[in-house]
Amino acid sequence: METSLAEAKRTILCVDDEATPMLLRRFVLEKSGFCVLTAASGQEALQILDRQPVDLVLTDLLMPGLSGTELAREVKRRRPHLPVVLLSGVNEIPEDATAADLFLSKVEGPEAMCRKLSEMLHGPRNNTAA
Amino acid sequence: MAAAAWDKPPINDEPFVKLTDPGEKVNILMVDDQPAKLMSYEVILGDLGENLIKATSANEALEHLLKKDIAIVLTDVSMPDIDGFDLAEMIRQHPRFQKTAIIFISGVHLTDIDRVKGYRQGAVDYITVPVVPELLRAKVSIFAELHRKRRQLEVLNRCLEERVAERTTELRERADLLELASEAIIVIDLQGGIRFWNSGAEELYGWGREEVAGKNIQQLLCTRAVSNVDWKAELVAHGKWEGNLVHCTRDGREVIVASRQALAIGNNGTPDTILEINRDITSHLKTEEALRKAERLAAMGRVAGIIAHEINNPLEAIINAFYLLRDHPSLDLEAREYAQLGEQELLRVAHIVRQTLGFYRESQQAIEVSVTEILDNVLELQSRYLQRNRIAVQRLYDSEVMAIGFPVELKQVFLNLIANAVQAMPDGGRLRLRVQPGSNPRSGIRGVFISISDTGSGIQPEHAKRLFEPFFSTKANKGTGLGLWISKGIIQKHEGTIDFRTVRTSRGCATCFRVFLPEHISVNGIRVSDAANGTNEMNGDQLG
Repeated sequence: METSLAEAKRTILCVDDEATPMLLRRFVLEKSGFCVLTAASGQEALQILDRQPVDLVLTDLLMPGLSGTELAREVKRRRPHLPVVLLSGVNEIPEDATAADLFLSKVEGPEAMCRKLSEMLHGPRNNTAA
Repeated sequence: MAAAAWDKPPINDEPFVKLTDPGEKVNILMVDDQPAKLMSYEVILGDLGENLIKATSANEALEHLLKKDIAIVLTDVSMPDIDGFDLAEMIRQHPRFQKTAIIFISGVHLTDIDRVKGYRQGAVDYITVPVVPELLRAKVSIFAELHRKRRQLEVLNRCLEERVAERTTELRERADLLELASEAIIVIDLQGGIRFWNSGAEELYGWGREEVAGKNIQQLLCTRAVSNVDWKAELVAHGKWEGNLVHCTRDGREVIVASRQALAIGNNGTPDTILEINRDITSHLKTEEALRKAERLAAMGRVAGIIAHEINNPLEAIINAFYLLRDHPSLDLEAREYAQLGEQELLRVAHIVRQTLGFYRESQQAIEVSVTEILDNVLELQSRYLQRNRIAVQRLYDSEVMAIGFPVELKQVFLNLIANAVQAMPDGGRLRLRVQPGSNPRSGIRGVFISISDTGSGIQPEHAKRLFEPFFSTKANKGTGLGLWISKGIIQKHEGTIDFRTVRTSRGCATCFRVFLPEHISVNGIRVSDAANGTNEMNGDQLG
């Protein structure tokens, strides 16, 4: 399951207010071959986005300050084509989650998560008709 | 007849006798062509205290008769123009004067033939001259009294007739009201024999009044109290009782009624009947129960959502930790295997959390859902029953079909349909799930057909019409009777359709429920406009 990507590493900006889960998530993503940047809040994530190139934003849903859905809207406002994936422990998709491209459950497991992120990053390229 | 005496009698319960004054004067008409005679009669009768009216000819007498209520006519037989006999005949011809007493006074000797002629004309008595004053007074007085009594009787009769008419109207109105009531209104004797049974009772219990007359109500309705209460004892002790009872209807259904009963006192002063009014509250109670259940579910759902969230957050971190551990280069094979086992078990926990706690939460918006995934999910939930009932499952999925909808609600629909199918096959059978894209034949709208077929007992034609009604159940006490009703509501919300048919052949019976879900629905979903992306996601495995 190690990455099968031959090209340059993709950068994922990982946003979560809880340090330990984010650290472990970062290790999992790195193990799958992604380059990972982390932000402890939505505000910090937006600052990083302004400074550095990012290929995908993976954000927790419930955070103090900017929530995941608010962050998704803000990201789309600045960078409409940047994929945003919401990650949450709740099974319910929030009503205002329309800005995000994908909603992932936290407990689908690391392998499913990495696979879906990889699809998100490479899928549209193979299917421009969409 | 004197109008004053016929004033409309009061309708209250005052004694009738008061209606006419026993001391009221009666009119006595005296007829004679000789005024002197009239004066002598006036003197003789003056002491009686009645009204004395004088007429000197038959014509004048008739005028008085038409104007006044005359009790007695005292007339001379021999008068010029119209004599006494002719006057009597004219009086009798008028229906109003049939009962007027006529006394003839005759100066000449009357033969028996004359008298018979007089009686035939309507005379009631004769007096011959010379007139004995006491005799005349006595006779007139008796007839005056007779007249008074008759007048009183007539008043009483008239009054009684009016009261009877009023009571009849009143009773008819009450009887109409009894028939108008939707409640079952029943009268029984103290032994339980049915005496009255209104149309509300006919409708509620199914028996006509002729069928139940005289039958014992408790045997007929298999009456029992809802709670452990001796209502008969309470009825006897307090004269009335109200509470809920369970009754059995003609077609074997059990209904719960709110019953009010009262002892009625009979003519002998002791209770001899029981009045009973029963209102069917079965569906009312069921609705309440369903609402309570729904509220409980909603509350459970909120709690479940919170618990799921609180469990999932740390769970993700632990799963990730074990994932990283399981092939960490610093660990030997045995340690890596432990980590792998740990990860597997944690994924099982995550799965259970999603299956159980996640079930209740529902998105407010329609999203793209995989129909086959939902079906597989439901089959997994039902796997124990499928195995136990020895039911073979056949999946005929045409392709990975996506639909727009509310996944939890759709899951509820298919859970209902599959559970019904399983319950229809207690002795085993085959459950076939077919998913195929297609167009609704009626509207032409494109979408997906999901068919769930079983080889169970089939649906009786008489049940077919009521199948989607709330509280309709063929499963006796096992079902709520709400499953298909809720399912239909959910499918309609998805702008889809649901129908069914049972096919009977010599080899057995097959029932198929078919759900159609349209490709697009008018609710804005998170990815409705981006359906192609979803397909990519599903086929993602082939891309890598």
